[in-house]
Parts: sequence; C-alpha cells; structure tokens
Amino acid sequence: MQLTRSIFGSGSDARWLTALRAPMRRVRRRSRTMSILTLIAALTVAVTLLPIAYLAVRALGSGSEGLAYALSPRTLAVVGNSIALAAAVAISAALVGVPFAWLTTRTTLPLRRFWLVAGSLPMVIPSYIGAMIFIAAFGPRGLAADLLAPLGVEKLPPIYGFVGAWLSITLFTYPFVALPVRAALLNTDPAQEEAARSLGLRRRAVFWQVTLPQLRPALAAGMLLSALYALSDFGAVALMRFDAFTRVIYTQYTSSFDRERAAVLALMLVAVTVAILVLERRVSRRGGGNYRAGTGCARRSVPIRLGVWAIPALLFCVLLVGVGVALPVGLLGSWLLRGAAVGAELSPVVTPTLNSLSASLLSALASALLAIPPAYLALRSRSRFRQWLGSAAYLGNALPGLVVALAFVFFASNFLPSLYQTMPILILGYCTRFLPLSIGATRSALTQINPRLEDAGRGLGLRRWQVILRITAPLARAGITSGAALVFLSAMKELPTTLLLAPTGFETLPADIWTATSEARFAQIAAPALFLVVVAALSLMVMLWQERQTADRL
Amino acid sequence: MRKTFRLFTLLVFFGSIAASLLAAAQDASPLVVYSGRSEGLIAPILEQFSAETGIPVEVRYGGTAEMAATLLEEGANSPADVFIAQDAGALGALAQAGLLASLKPETVALVPAAFASPDNVWVGLSGRARVLVYNTEVLGEDQLPASITDLVDPAWARRVGWAPTNASLQAHVTALRVLLGEDAARAWLEAMVANGTQSYDNNRAVVQAVIDGEIEVGLVNHYYLFGFLAEDPDVPAANYFFPDGDVGSLINIAGAGVLATSDQADAAESLIVWLLGESAQTYFAEQTYEYPMIDGVAIDARLTPLDEIQSPEIDLTDLSDLEATLELLSETGALP
Amino acid sequence: MTFSTDSSALICSALTKTFADTPVLRGVDLAVPPGAVVALLGPSGCGKTTTLRLIAGFDFPDSGDIVINGRHVAGTGVQIAAENRRVGMVFQEYALFPHRSVLDNVAFGLGGSARDRRAQAAALLERIGLAGVGDRMPHGLSGGQQQRVALARALAPKPELLLLDEPFSNLDAGLRAQVRSEVRTILSRAGITSIFVTHDQEEALSFADNVAVMLEGRVAQFGSPSTIYRTPVSREVAAFVGEANFLPGEARGDVVYCALGALRLGAPLNGAVDVLIRPEMIDLHPQEDGAAVVLWREYYGYTQRVGLRLAGGAALTARVGARWEGAVGDTVAVTISGAVCAFPRR
Repeated sequence: MQLTRSIFGSGSDARWLTALRAPMRRVRRRSRTMSILTLIAALTVAVTLLPIAYLAVRALGSGSEGLAYALSPRTLAVVGNSIALAAAVAISAALVGVPFAWLTTRTTLPLRRFWLVAGSLPMVIPSYIGAMIFIAAFGPRGLAADLLAPLGVEKLPPIYGFVGAWLSITLFTYPFVALPVRAALLNTDPAQEEAARSLGLRRRAVFWQVTLPQLRPALAAGMLLSALYALSDFGAVALMRFDAFTRVIYTQYTSSFDRERAAVLALMLVAVTVAILVLERRVSRRGGGNYRAGTGCARRSVPIRLGVWAIPALLFCVLLVGVGVALPVGLLGSWLLRGAAVGAELSPVVTPTLNSLSASLLSALASALLAIPPAYLALRSRSRFRQWLGSAAYLGNALPGLVVALAFVFFASNFLPSLYQTMPILILGYCTRFLPLSIGATRSALTQINPRLEDAGRGLGLRRWQVILRITAPLARAGITSGAALVFLSAMKELPTTLLLAPTGFETLPADIWTATSEARFAQIAAPALFLVVVAALSLMVMLWQERQTADRL
Repeated sequence: MRKTFRLFTLLVFFGSIAASLLAAAQDASPLVVYSGRSEGLIAPILEQFSAETGIPVEVRYGGTAEMAATLLEEGANSPADVFIAQDAGALGALAQAGLLASLKPETVALVPAAFASPDNVWVGLSGRARVLVYNTEVLGEDQLPASITDLVDPAWARRVGWAPTNASLQAHVTALRVLLGEDAARAWLEAMVANGTQSYDNNRAVVQAVIDGEIEVGLVNHYYLFGFLAEDPDVPAANYFFPDGDVGSLINIAGAGVLATSDQADAAESLIVWLLGESAQTYFAEQTYEYPMIDGVAIDARLTPLDEIQSPEIDLTDLSDLEATLELLSETGALP
Repeated sequence: MTFSTDSSALICSALTKTFADTPVLRGVDLAVPPGAVVALLGPSGCGKTTTLRLIAGFDFPDSGDIVINGRHVAGTGVQIAAENRRVGMVFQEYALFPHRSVLDNVAFGLGGSARDRRAQAAALLERIGLAGVGDRMPHGLSGGQQQRVALARALAPKPELLLLDEPFSNLDAGLRAQVRSEVRTILSRAGITSIFVTHDQEEALSFADNVAVMLEGRVAQFGSPSTIYRTPVSREVAAFVGEANFLPGEARGDVVYCALGALRLGAPLNGAVDVLIRPEMIDLHPQEDGAAVVLWREYYGYTQRVGLRLAGGAALTARVGARWEGAVGDTVAVTISGAVCAFPRR
C-alpha cells in the first residue's frame, strides 16, 4: 500500500511507471536479498524484544496477584499520569519545536545559525542533570527564589510533580521535534506555499493549511520520540517526584525488591507504547509519500522578513537557549569553580571520557548498520510481517533503562556468562534502548528517496543488494549518520544501562556523575557533566552538518 | 580514502569486540565486590585490603538497590563474591532470596547482635543514627521533645523540617509502621503534614536550613551535621537523640554479606572480617562520621557513643517494605 | 511615478535582481496589453522564471517597478505581498496540495461558505472537462489532468493576471500538443491576461499572442510571433528563435551580397553583415552546375531537412516540402524567396 502510494506520489510519470513496473515485479518475486534482510531484521528485533520476553516471564510468575495489582486504583492512576505526561510533553515539544524549526529555516531571524546550534543543545543534557539544575534554579530554595526574595516574591509556583516533570522533559526533548521538522521544512517544495499565497492566503493561513499538513510525518515522528522519552525517562520524574511508570517501576525494583510487580508495570508501559506507535503510524501514513517529484525546480524558499516580529522571535530563542543551555552549563561551571576554589579534589575525567566515547561510538556504528534492514523493509516491502519488524524495534525505547539493563543482566548472566559484563553486552544494551532512534532517522531518509532511482539502478542491471549498497545507502547517508549521532548522544547520557552492563571497573562519565551525585559533591558532578555535554554536543554538530549537506544537494 | 576510512571503522568495531571477548576469557579471578557504597567512600580501604592481603579486588559500583536487583537477576550465575550495601533492606531481600551464604559465627560475633542478620548471613559495617538536629542559638537540649511523636504538637508548628524523598527518612517511617502499627504511623504523618512540617530535597538541605534558622529542628541522619562542622566548627547546631528507646532514635546500618555462589567464600569472608578490623572501622569513623561496629575504635568527641543511644528494638530486615511506606507518604500528602 | 496613462495589464520597468553576487535580471522592460497571452522565451538561466516570480510577488526586485492594471505592486518603497496581488500561478510541477482532494485544491483560493466554494469548484472542474474526479487525490490523476487541475485552481479566484511556469515541460510529447490546445481554449474563454515561461520556441510561437525573448537578464525583443521570427532584432534572437543559417555578406542599401548572390534586404543597411536565412526560405532546384551539394537529408513526412555545402564552403540547412526528390551527392541550385534580414557584423 505504502509502496504503491509512494510511486504514484510522483504524479505525472505514473502512467509509464505502472507500465514499467509490471514486468519487473515478476522478476522480483523471489529475492534472496530480501530474505537475508528479513533474517537480519528479525534477529535484530528479536534481541530488542528480549526485555519484553523477560518481563513476560517475570510477570507470569506473579499470577493473579499481578493482575490484581495491574488493575488496582493506584496502578491505574500511574498509567493515567504517564499517559498525561507523554501527551503533554509531545504536544508542548511540538509547540516549541515547530516554531523553532520554522524560525531557523524560513525566516530572516538574526544569527540563525547560532540559534540553531545553541537551541538544539538542550538535547545533549541528560535529564537527571537537567532536572537537578532545574530544581537548583527554580526549586523552593533555588537560585530564582534567592534572586526574587528581595523583590518581595515569597513563594515561587511549585515545580515538583507534573509541572516540573513536564517542563523539564519538554525543554530537553523539543529538539527531537525541531530537527526532523527542520529537515522536512528544508525538503518541502516551496512552490506549494507559493501557490497558496498566489491564491490569496496570508502567511499564517498558508502555514496552517499547506505547510503544517506536509510536516505531519516529521512532526509525528518527532512527537513520538519525545513521548517515548517522557515514558521511559527516570531522571526527571524521579527528581521532580512525579509518579510516572518509571518512578514506580524503579521503586518496585529497588526499594521493595518486587520484580513481579515491576514487570507487570513495565508490561503495561509496553502496552501504552504500542498504542502510541499505532497512533503515530496512522497519523504519519495519512500524509505519506510526499517526496519531491523531481529536482528540476528545486529552489530554496525566500526567507520571510520578520520585521518587528524579530524581537519576540529573538526573545523566544533567548529563553530557550537561556533556560536549556546557559542555565545548566552556567550552574555546572559555577559548581566547578566553587569546588576548585575550596580545593575540592576533582576526579580526572580523561579515562571515563574515552570509555564513554568508545562505547557510545561503537553503539552508534552498530545501530546505524542494524537499523538499515528494518527501516528498508518497513518502506520497501509489501509484506505485513516485514513492515511490522520496522515498528516492533521501537518497543525497546519506551522501556526504562533499568528494565532493559536488568533483562540483559538476566539473559547474559544466565545464558551468555562469558559475555556478561563485557563491552559487547553493553553495546547490545545500548542498541536495544536506542535502535529506534536510528531506525527513525534512516526511515525518514529512505522516505525521501524516490523509488524511481532504485528502479533505475535495477534497470541498469544491478541486483537488489547492489542497489541498496550503491544507490539507497549513499542517498540515505545523511539520515543514517544523523541516526547514529542520535544514538551516540543518547548512549553518552544513559545511566542505568551503563551502570549495570559495563565491564567491571569500566569508568564512564554518567557513572562518575552518579557517584558524585550520590555523595552530594557538586564540584565533582560538574567536571564529568560538562565533559559529557561537550562530547555529546559534537554529535549534534555532525547531525547539523549532515542536514546542511542534504539541503545543499537538493 | 573513504574506502580506507570505512575499512578502518569496521576494524575498530570488530577489533574491540574481539578485545573484550579476549579480556573476558583471561579472567585472573580476583575477588568481585558489588558495592552500593559509592567509590569515594570505600575504594581506598579496599585498595588497602588488597595491598595487605595480596588478594586482588575488583569492584562494581552502583546504587545499593540497583546492585541488589542485579544480584537477584544474576541468581546462580552471579560473578560477585561480596555485596556491600548501604542499608539493611537490600541485604534482607537477598537473604530472603537465599542468595547469601552463612557467615562464620566468629565473624558475626564481631558486631552487636542488633546489627547482624538473625540467620547470620550479613553483618553491619557501620551504623547511622536518626537524630533531631537543632539550632543551638534558639533552643536548649531541655526544650526538645522526648519522642518523635511529640513533634506533631501545635507548639512545633512550622518549626520542623524533613526530607520525605530521602531513603533514610523512608526507612524511618517504615520502622514507625512496624513498631507503632499502620494506623498510628498514618496518623503521625497526617499530623506532621498538618503541622506545617517543611519539606526539603535532602538531609543536607535540612541541616543547612536549621543552621540558617529557617527552621529550628530537623529529622536527619546523624552524620550530615559533621560535614558542616568540618567546614566551620562553630555552626550553631547539634544532634539530639530521642531517649528511652523512642522510635525516633532508630539506628540503621551499612553492611555486607558473601554471595552463596561465590567460589572463593573464604577470601570473601576474610574481606568482611577485614572491613570490621580496626583500620577499616577507623576509616569509616573518620571519613564519614559513621558509628564503628566494633569496640576500641575512637569516635569523634562530638558523637554520642553508640551504646549510650537508647534505640528501639527492631529487626532491620523488616524495613524492606518500602512500597507501602511510599504509598502512605503520598496518601498523607507528605510526598507531593 | 505614475503609470495610469498606460492601459497595459502589466508593466515591468527596469527590473534588476541579483542572487549571491550574480546579476540575474539586468533591467527587464515589458508591457503586456490586456487579455494577451505572452510567452517569456529564453534559454535556461536568462532570468525568465525570476521575472515571473517577481511579478507573482514571491520575491522582490532590487530595483525597478512592477505595475499590474495600474496598481504599483513592487518598486521603491512598495512591496505588495503575493497574496494581495490577485495574480494566479501555475507551477512547473503543478504544486497541487497532496493532502487535499482535487475539489479542495480547486476550492482553495475561493471565498464564501464551504458549500459555495465546493459548488464553484465543481463547476470549474466540469468546465475543464474533469467532472467526477473531484473526490480523488491529486496523485491519482494523470499528468495532463493534474495540469488542468492546477490551471483551474489558479483561475478559480478570478485573478487579474495568470502566470504559468514551464506549464507543459512535464508532459510527454504526445500529450503535450493536446493539453496545450486545451489550455489555450480555457485561457481564451477566460479572457485573462496570461504570461507563461518557456524555453521551447515552438511552444512560444504557437501558443502566445506576443513573445518576449529574454537573453542574459533583459528582454531582447517583444512582439508578435511572426515579427519575432521574421524580423529578429539581433543575431542572438534570430539564433534562439527557430533554426537559422548565417552567411557573411556586404550590405549596400536594399541589397546584400553573399555566397548566394545578391539578396533583397527587408530593411536598408550598409557594411559588413551576417545574413539570416531561415531554412524554409530556401528553394532547391536540381541543376548539374548548381552552387550547392546535398550533404545529408532528414525525411519527416510532412517536411524534410536538407544539408547543403555551398561552393565557397559554407554550410546551409534547408527545409523543403515532402515532395522534393533529391539524393545525397546531388548538385542543386539554391534560390531564396522573399526579403532577408541582416545584422551588422561586430
């Protein structure tokens, strides 16, 4: 279905294309490449589904007691909390991310490039640091309270609970929406917007009626990522004391040592994720197949002059960058300086940095490769099973890191003891958690590739695997690289998977931060945290650079 | 050029996998310790152990609870020999799952009976007492209440601070539930909230608020005050222990046990014995102001000796039911 | 500045536009009479599409003025936005909204209640012969149908001016002629002033009332198709519009002397010139001692092209009727019918 639609999406050439494809389909019926791809994808997905198998085993152990727990009012309240949080974050991330993407692609915003880079940086800040900073800044006895006290402000609005979790997760996930939307804005044909304007629509109406509908797949993909982040995040909800799934799962595991109940909760989380995935597929499918018909009239759209609106636009950017980047980095810097001033012993961060770097780099590489088969099959195959493979891999991303990590602890220690607590298992854990990020990016890159180009390759006598290697992959390179960068960044930040699966004695930045946090030594938090942010920011540069390359090529 | 680069990345990828496989294969079988106690507070003393005994130690750090959960998942295949925990609850959970080996009677005998497991599978390494920290400029010791339950008196309205998200306070509330019963614990929490007890993020912040005079008293662990005293010996605050076995004077422990699956149980137990030795105990007492578990170790002059604290009688492994405590805390509004 | 004295539907005067240091328009002047269909013809890169976009209001000129029906829409201090110009546009790749049905596409620019708009759009679709496809999505239509939908959409709000950017370039040859005549009929019936961009000179000549030939950012010549073809103002225009042979010659008043002898000039001239000889002006006569040899012959059925070499070595291409019988190697005599054009040699 998807396939036929994307072919016909090209419009004028539909007729000769149908004629062209008819004999080809016969040749293609049995493709060994497709079978091999399916096998690889199936294996990959099987591994990413291991945590769910583990949860099923654990939850079954609890029997009817588990069911009763699942249906207890408190559990249902937690379900409601999590859904509300995920929905609120997805919506607010869109409300922030779309204007940000639009301002940095389509307008004459002063210092556009700077705002783009600075405004994307919040995504490199781990939520456990971000939320901590938030509390330090806006908490009842934080920086803001101190600053405002002389002005007669006695009490700040409370940030704990839903509001704090919602705002902080939004702040650290809106780039997940902004980046794909930017890519879509750069790729859509400006002629459609011009057509609407020549038909008398004002700019605002053009945006709502023409631009936005075309952004739907990108928007849905970005909102999906931020919703999944909200569902699986622990740092922010824990620090903000909001009873979301992850926090309760953690409590069950770590305080009550009740693995059955934790598993029941985690499975319910999986169910919520499935529902969200189905929703996203529906939404993005409706606008599917919008790649450009050709590059003949490719042209950058004329930037919109902001005029006096530049002032609120700049304020918006300043606010985002101020709260999302300057505040965390500034506070961390001040902790570091204060620590250095009182002569606190600052741990050397070189080894942990190199360790984190190598583990994250390998995971990024591995998931970039592993993402290609499921992403390719999801778009280019008409078999339901193969398309399903592409979606199933997303389930790992919604589970909290602790659950995924414990599942791997269970399977590796019991079935692969020689690999347990080694680098490969750590990388496997990272891949399971973050594969969806690279599948998503690869997939949206593939959507933009006109299948006609692949047909052309086959017409020139290439086999399907040769087509994938020589045409599809190079064209999708930017997307694949961005996906890898996203995995890199997430793996750099990931705490529970790192703590539980890393080789013993393998020092990493998140582990260092965690240690310093648990000993409440702020100066020692600052150094690894700043390093983490800087290294993760490098991957952001890679992403933006790739984006630019793609845009230039179009 | 680009081909070379691609080849290079592939080499790095598979190379590192091979390297880690190799590393896993040539295991020199050191003593593996899973530590819930963070690196800065135990690594030096473990290094000293290795230096003295020649037994190599490999330590895996993590949260006590995460480490316990990991051990539960690893089950019979755990590579760990020793588990060092920050609280008795985690040790209790492992003991209940049958994952801890029995310790020799002479090892258990090193610590007071209250600070070892009833079935001899774990021992305490250091003690931490719950106290009421108070501002010495505002209050004298004679003005302080005789019981933690007196803090709900309207006279104390808005003068008390606590940290409801802190694990120690939560364990304390669990103890209240165990010792006073569910209804009394609920009534106490509700009254505390109604009395305007101020919530803080952590124990440190409570002590800071007491020193600043923001509040007059706070429910915390005893050693936080000493962090402030180390920076400024004249801070106007002191610890107060509720008398007469009041539930307010709960003493919890950080402890350790040997895994039942350990293939070097003797070496493992020797580490525990060593951690109960004079140098390790002194280290704990000096480094963190915790209470040593053995006699003959000097404690800070400002600490009330352990045997002078009239703490309530309780089996510390009973403090593992945290879920119900959290439920109670949020139902009564103590946790937002 | 006032333009009210002029009754033109569109006036462009001295438009310039520079992109990234490359001047694209170097002073475009154009005046389009009401109701005319005008072709902007030129090789790629000559600035014709840019001119169209300036008229549409998608972009603004660096200098110069644009006046539509007496209304100053772009120029010093004036920047009327595209949506306020009442200028319709048909895009090269049609730019139909893929997320809206055909009917919704056509109704997009209409005002009034939803019911009115749908009724109007349906009526328009019927008029262009697409009744019954209103509920389909644009990608379900053939190229020709998409073209007509794009046209209907642009015409729906009754614009004062219709712009078409390479409107037929996306259609294959067989379809093109048919769609072209359909569109021409629709435009004439609507009686709307239209400007379309093309690089196809045959399309420009056959479709437009007037042709503006654009070369290197300027309008090199504006006139009826026959004027442009028969009396181009420069060698460049002549070379671009239609097939052209150039022979060196010497003009003396009404006569020019070249390898084909003395030819009559359309306009008097003196000095060294290039003589323009269109292939269809050449008549060939079999003759033993003729001045030219047949080098090649392309037979098209309704016409044929013949390559010749003159005695002096110059090459010529002739277009002769289908009935001409000759073979490669034949020697022929060459005569020219009618007056010729010539351009002073630079």
